[in-house]
Amino acid sequence: MSSLWIVVIGVVVIYLAYTFYAKRIDRTVIQADPNRATPARMYMDGADFMPTSRFVLYGYHFKSIAAAGPIVGVITAANLWGWLPSVLWLMIGVSFIGWASDYSAIMMAVRNDGNSLSAIAHRLISPRTRRILFVFIFFYLLLIAGAFVGIMAGILAARPDVPFGILVLALAGLFAGYAIYRLRMSIVGVSLLTVALTLGAMALGPLGATFTPGKPTDWSTGPISGIVNSINASINSGGEIYRVTDPTFADPRIPAPVDGKRSDTATYVAATNEIKVLPNFLFWSIALLVFSYLGANMAIWRFAQPVNYIGFWITAIVIGVSAIGALIAPFVTLPNATAPAGAFALQDAKGFMGATAVGIQPLWPMLFVTIACGAISGWHALFGSIGTARQLEYETDALPVGGGGMFSENTLGLLSLTAVAIVGTGAGAGAFAAGVGRLIHVASFQTIPLPLGTALGFGAFVVIVLTVVQLVFRVMRVTLGEWLGDRWVGFKNQHVASIVGMVITMALVLSGTWVYLWQLFGASNQLLAALSLLLVTVWLRSVGRNPAFAGIPMVFMYVTTMAATIVTAYNLYATIATQPGQAVISIAGAWAMIAVSVLLFVAALLIAYDAWIAWNRLRAEPTPAAAPASG
Amino acid sequence: MDWMTEPATGPRSAVRPRGLRAALREFAYGMTGYEFARHALETRAALENLFMVVVVGDMIGLPVIPPYYALRLLPFVTPEIATWKRRVLREREFSDQHEYHLHGV
Repeated sequence: MSSLWIVVIGVVVIYLAYTFYAKRIDRTVIQADPNRATPARMYMDGADFMPTSRFVLYGYHFKSIAAAGPIVGVITAANLWGWLPSVLWLMIGVSFIGWASDYSAIMMAVRNDGNSLSAIAHRLISPRTRRILFVFIFFYLLLIAGAFVGIMAGILAARPDVPFGILVLALAGLFAGYAIYRLRMSIVGVSLLTVALTLGAMALGPLGATFTPGKPTDWSTGPISGIVNSINASINSGGEIYRVTDPTFADPRIPAPVDGKRSDTATYVAATNEIKVLPNFLFWSIALLVFSYLGANMAIWRFAQPVNYIGFWITAIVIGVSAIGALIAPFVTLPNATAPAGAFALQDAKGFMGATAVGIQPLWPMLFVTIACGAISGWHALFGSIGTARQLEYETDALPVGGGGMFSENTLGLLSLTAVAIVGTGAGAGAFAAGVGRLIHVASFQTIPLPLGTALGFGAFVVIVLTVVQLVFRVMRVTLGEWLGDRWVGFKNQHVASIVGMVITMALVLSGTWVYLWQLFGASNQLLAALSLLLVTVWLRSVGRNPAFAGIPMVFMYVTTMAATIVTAYNLYATIATQPGQAVISIAGAWAMIAVSVLLFVAALLIAYDAWIAWNRLRAEPTPAAAPASG
Repeated sequence: MDWMTEPATGPRSAVRPRGLRAALREFAYGMTGYEFARHALETRAALENLFMVVVVGDMIGLPVIPPYYALRLLPFVTPEIATWKRRVLREREFSDQHEYHLHGV
């Protein structure tokens, strides 16, 4: 297998699924009608409801949903089960479930006067469903923040070449917001300047460091990485704080095995498979929270939006160049290599139970929550319905925008998989960055050196994750205020709500095991998707349409994700909570995450019960005649 | 960008740019400037809401300005009354807030 085949398979499968399945559902079940007035045209208010060209909307929707989810999930899954199961789920998941979830949620909102899914759930199922949504959303945000802050702090602590790019990104973001909104400078000019500055800073990070094959990089020789390295060394002078374990070896701080064995590093003890939590990990975690605090509390135009915008371009450039590299890599053999650069070195399948030292990682259900957004995402459905649905000019635009956006996001997942698979060793972000580095090296006809390409891969990874995290905290403080603001008015204060969210996140980062955090996030995300499909199923039943295309995937996702929460809770119990020799902080974190698993499980059960009641109520009512397709 | 801000009133072909180049231009705009344009429009709408409440707030039960000034300004704000009423009288969910826009989450 090679990168070119992945591109070919991806294009063919997406074309077939879109042309022969998605369009058929759009035409025969939903019966999208270009002559029916959409909420954007009926309630045009110049702000929320506004008819917009489908090409503009597709660009906006794709940019909005394309984030770190399809990248992180895929590289973790490929590490645990091999590349083949990951490719299969990416292809099957997006073809039969992913696009259907995003598209049908948007269409349901369009047909219900642009109401959000929570309002529709309140009306169609029960008021309790809407309240449970708060719980889901809050824990979804908490888990994604914990997983992302943990992985980024690990990278920043281990790679002295990355922080400089992040610092420049923050400054460039501040400048871009001021220049566009206050100085009214051209967006094109500001974009070119700030993106070039940030890319330049990312390239300067590793400049001068000594890269020797087979040996650890000497960062002290670089002008910028040397300074960061000195800061790290002085912070770490007090030694480790405590140790945690990751039975799945998916934590980015665990080094790749060489000849089947992992060696000791500054943060890893191979003999006991323990990760040392050093003071600089704590330092970078706090630095990330400070960055996120600014994004969560400053006016959105001043920081979060322009930082996100610059980050998008950095990622788009790196991913775009990598995609070109993936196309030509099978035909290029690098010096000192025996196989083409695009040949897959990663094992195709690692067995049903996955690569784990202790605990269990069965392919079903764990693969389906580990790969989250690349195949299906509840977040897209839940909040695409309030943004995109209110801007659709014609009903027939929903498929290319909603469905097409999800298919496009799937290609990000495939590219991440390619990057990891051609490197073959390593875990998490390290494998992704090494793969991206090789693809950039190939795409640039070997003019960009491998270490610089890898540094850009790391930088792009951190940028895309960081831009997401600051917005996660922004949404989290609003959710907390809405959910608990009536109990204590302090939660309605944005600074208090932000700090509460960050303190809980920090506790998770310091006490939790990264891979379990990620898998719990995936479970909450997929449960949101199942909930969205459940709503669509009930809605289709209420209007006399065949709900099978949403109902069957809904049952699969519901059962799978609920099983996954049980497996994760068991893993936490068996591998950390009851294991002798674990640090107290790890045990406390494991129990907290077990409690979250139980909470998600019970919440999902309650929603399913309420939906069953609603379904039976609708069955008892006479089936309304399906509306004509047009006229 | 009239095709973006104006509501569609004509047949489909009349309000759509034609050709691959136009489609790509719109796609690029959607990925870049559209978010900024939307935010600017939302800000303007929020300021307009405030202004309309001050001028013709009595229409929704808020008599906050003497009717004389409201009458002087009425001809200028009349075209906006319908959209303003739609904006302020619409029932809102928590997820309607700006923070919940996707933004890459």
